[in-house]
Amino acid sequence: MSEQERSSSALREFARNLRQAPRRFLETVFRHGPPRTDRTRSTFVFGNVFLHLHAARTHRWSLRWTTTLGLGLVTAAAFVITLVTGVLLMFYYKPYPDVAYQSIKDIHFVVPTGLFMRNVHRWAANVMVVAVILHMARVFYTAAYRAPREFNWVIGMGLLVTTLGLSFTGYLLPWDQLAYWAITIGANIAQSPREITDALGITDWADIGGLQRQLLLGSDVVGEEALIRFYLLHVMLLPLLLVALLAVHFWRVRKDGGLARPADADRRLGPPPADAYPVFTEAPRKTYQLAAVVRGRTAAVGNGPEQTVPSMPHLFYAELGVFMLTTLICLALSLWIDAPLKELANPNVPENPAKAPWYFLGLQECVSFSAFMGGVGIPLIVLAGLGLIPYLDREERGTGVWCGGPGGWPLVRWATLFGLAAAIGVEAFAIRCGWLREWFPDIPQLVITFVNPGTLLAALYALFSLFVVRKQNSVRAGALALFTCFLCGFVVLTIIGTYFRGPNWEFFWSPADWPKH
Amino acid sequence: MNRNKNLLLLSSLGVLALLVAAAVQENILKSWRRIQGAARGEAGPVDVRLRQIVVPGLKAADRCVSCHVGMAPGETGIAGPSVVAAHPPVAHDPGEYGCTACHGGQGRATEEADAHGAAPFWPEPMLEARHAYAGCGTCHTHVRVPNEMALERGQRVFERLDCLACHKLDGRGGTLRPGGAGGMEGPDLSRVGAAGAAVDWYEEHLRKAREGADATWKTCFGPTEEDARRDLDVYLASRVGAPGLVEAKALFHTLGCRGCHKVNGVGGDDGPDLTRAGARDPGRTDFTHVPGAPTLANWQAEHLRDPAKIVPGSLMPALGLTEEQVDGLTFYLLSLRKSGFPEAYWPKDRILAERFGEREFAADGATLYGTFCAACHGAQGQGMRYPGMSVAPAVANADFLAVAADEFIAGTVERGRPGRRMPAWGEKEGGLRPQEVRAVVEHLRALGGVAAAEADTEPPHWAEGDAEAGARLYGAYCAGCHGAAGEGADGPALKNRVLLSTATDTYLAQTIARGRRGTSMPGFGNASTVHPALSAEDTEALVRFIRKWENAP
Repeated sequence: MSEQERSSSALREFARNLRQAPRRFLETVFRHGPPRTDRTRSTFVFGNVFLHLHAARTHRWSLRWTTTLGLGLVTAAAFVITLVTGVLLMFYYKPYPDVAYQSIKDIHFVVPTGLFMRNVHRWAANVMVVAVILHMARVFYTAAYRAPREFNWVIGMGLLVTTLGLSFTGYLLPWDQLAYWAITIGANIAQSPREITDALGITDWADIGGLQRQLLLGSDVVGEEALIRFYLLHVMLLPLLLVALLAVHFWRVRKDGGLARPADADRRLGPPPADAYPVFTEAPRKTYQLAAVVRGRTAAVGNGPEQTVPSMPHLFYAELGVFMLTTLICLALSLWIDAPLKELANPNVPENPAKAPWYFLGLQECVSFSAFMGGVGIPLIVLAGLGLIPYLDREERGTGVWCGGPGGWPLVRWATLFGLAAAIGVEAFAIRCGWLREWFPDIPQLVITFVNPGTLLAALYALFSLFVVRKQNSVRAGALALFTCFLCGFVVLTIIGTYFRGPNWEFFWSPADWPKH
Repeated sequence: MNRNKNLLLLSSLGVLALLVAAAVQENILKSWRRIQGAARGEAGPVDVRLRQIVVPGLKAADRCVSCHVGMAPGETGIAGPSVVAAHPPVAHDPGEYGCTACHGGQGRATEEADAHGAAPFWPEPMLEARHAYAGCGTCHTHVRVPNEMALERGQRVFERLDCLACHKLDGRGGTLRPGGAGGMEGPDLSRVGAAGAAVDWYEEHLRKAREGADATWKTCFGPTEEDARRDLDVYLASRVGAPGLVEAKALFHTLGCRGCHKVNGVGGDDGPDLTRAGARDPGRTDFTHVPGAPTLANWQAEHLRDPAKIVPGSLMPALGLTEEQVDGLTFYLLSLRKSGFPEAYWPKDRILAERFGEREFAADGATLYGTFCAACHGAQGQGMRYPGMSVAPAVANADFLAVAADEFIAGTVERGRPGRRMPAWGEKEGGLRPQEVRAVVEHLRALGGVAAAEADTEPPHWAEGDAEAGARLYGAYCAGCHGAAGEGADGPALKNRVLLSTATDTYLAQTIARGRRGTSMPGFGNASTVHPALSAEDTEALVRFIRKWENAP
């Protein structure tokens, strides 16, 4: 081979490689061929950094729509939507008082699709708050928090609080009257421990409330310091925290054996449909396990054929479907209703009533009875109670089934009735007859702090659930009653706070009855 | 699996459809795109793009010109729907000041309702076209504005002398051209008050008429009496390019509104400060009792017609204004919208008013009286009594002026009547300067036709007599109107420390003896059907009795 021939063959090779480059590039990206066999389907999942958080195979129980209603996915999808639209909004938003308001106006009026993006952001945030609460309720009612998923329930609590924090910090950013006074209310709630320290006369030495408010606002009033703080929390710290918690949350779902399902799930499901791709269609002869490393039971031994299907495509269709559905809902709401923007924030003209974001109006209702109890006491009791649920309920009956276990649906119906009746009754009494301060003007504040409609309602719920625990002889039944009651209380108080509270937080049947100026 | 597949397919199609809808809304349905598409410039269709006037100094980014294309700087000869028409000629270039500085509204908005401020939560809606010149008040504070009569006098002179033959004013006149059809007409006088006229315009006109370069000059101008020239100067000074607005302010300076209301720090305290009455947020204004559209103009007009109907419990009396007066005052109130614009943007008149103490009202007694006193004491000083309020005395009454020395009247104006409605107008209280108070006194003398009070050589306190007899007489003849303890009822209160310390015994005795003709106060020097004539001793006794209140608590 002459020198010339060698160089021409290298040139040919170069040309051939160039021709093949696109195909080779695709091959190097999708290294394992199209997902058409069980093997390639599995590789598709664990060979991808984003997908490998999923198991390669998914139990058919998890894919039933009624198992989860897709609520966790809706929450995650809404978060992704807020993330995308939020980053877009950050291009135009300027976190400085007054300028912030003008920049929102610019986003509304001249940024191409700016108003739409802000609407989507706002609606996705609301969808996320609703979905995260419903998701929690789903996990509770299907008793999916039980071993080994206890800790993931606690992580979920963290996600709930972070979600509310994200939504709340975003509330101030438009710097309009709505934002300004809602955050002023929020800051006053942060200051509410003063009610206790004042009553004890130790505010001068240990002003916890004042410190919390200072930390939140960076100043004595809602101003530029507060805005930059809320901005930083909203666009950086809380999203990072949320992503971290979310990663743990997902990872634990995987590590805890996927979604909770009843012990007899396979029997309930019946034979797989023809178009599914079940694995282990025959009883396994062999199972593999790193026995020394992985704890727990082996999944396959003695269990016969499992009703799992490849995650690709079954699970991913479902996940993408829920994602797109969430997007659809957010977009539809955005085209229908614009995000609110009132006039420029004016510290000299208080909004009356100044209302917190809607999901805090139940708390604001409690705050109107006692700032400390509503702002700190009751939320802490509720969070502690929720966090303790998986550690108190260690029964096994009813896992993975809606309202499974002792009591069941009838108990939930009774608890709903009691929860609504108690909340409405206590509210109606307090609205019509007033409370201790009206009857005994000189009563010490500390008494009201501990005896007010909010704490009374909590006590009623607690007594009711203790009664249920005794009657049903089951902790799960008590938890079912208590959780249902609290959901009802949350709904009733939020509705009253949203629709029936007017200037000076007085009760009105409709805003049309509000006194004029 | 198929269920999930269908879910994915349908929701994806739905998302796609909604995104398309959003894109259509954004790129096709925006009304400014349609308007610009219909507009034609000199060289064919105009560029369809968002247009704005940015004025960093005023923090304005006014996108009004996205629809009102013809008003955008540099655009000429735009044809199309009326919305794209060019701006009528005004004193200020929209390209320099933007739109919202004068018109209000939301400059950043690009949709009509939002931009015109008709949307909820926008505190500064646009001024209606008929009140467009109220926008001048955002920056301008017109100074030395006389009362209505002075302005009308000047206008009459202007028309009587046929100045409109050669000069244009607010678009009228200016047809006569010295030198024939090709010659120049006289300068447009629409803004002569802002620019200032040459002080020797009269002499100059006379000289030209005398020298008579052409026939027109010879016949069109002749000697004019000094009074008429003074009236004319007042009128011309008010021609600042804001038709109607100065007239509206002159009306404000005629009806005595400042007697109760402060504007820019000068005026009474009984009513609300009106300095920014035209910049109220309609969203925070109660329209419950206002018929018609919830606009600030409507509110102000209805409130002027019947204050207590719009603001239940309002102390402001119904003034019985004519519709013309209501319109004028509404216009002026809307112009009270002083902005926080940087001082570099302040016009000369506002600097004069706020930095050099120049008055917004003219310094003559008639204007001062009209500005501060007329609402209570009446346009002619005849005294007034609004339902539910105590009586405001007839200050131009000849009997009063005959016995009240100038010092007494000036002292009363400056110190007021504490405890009664009459506020103190001295420099520290109401803000009137000594020479202004003197001008008011002179004006009262002119109104009443009494050039000076009768000379009084007595010391301030000379009355001697039996106070107890006085008390008896007081109970019989005075207490009915002035109150048993002098606290006032139908008549003014007499138990008033400032009244008694400024009034001399002569004043009191003379007032009792003469009364005030034309008012409810009879002269007790002569008998009538309801009272006998009081002797000089009786009067002295009464004075002695009344004097006892001077040091009463």
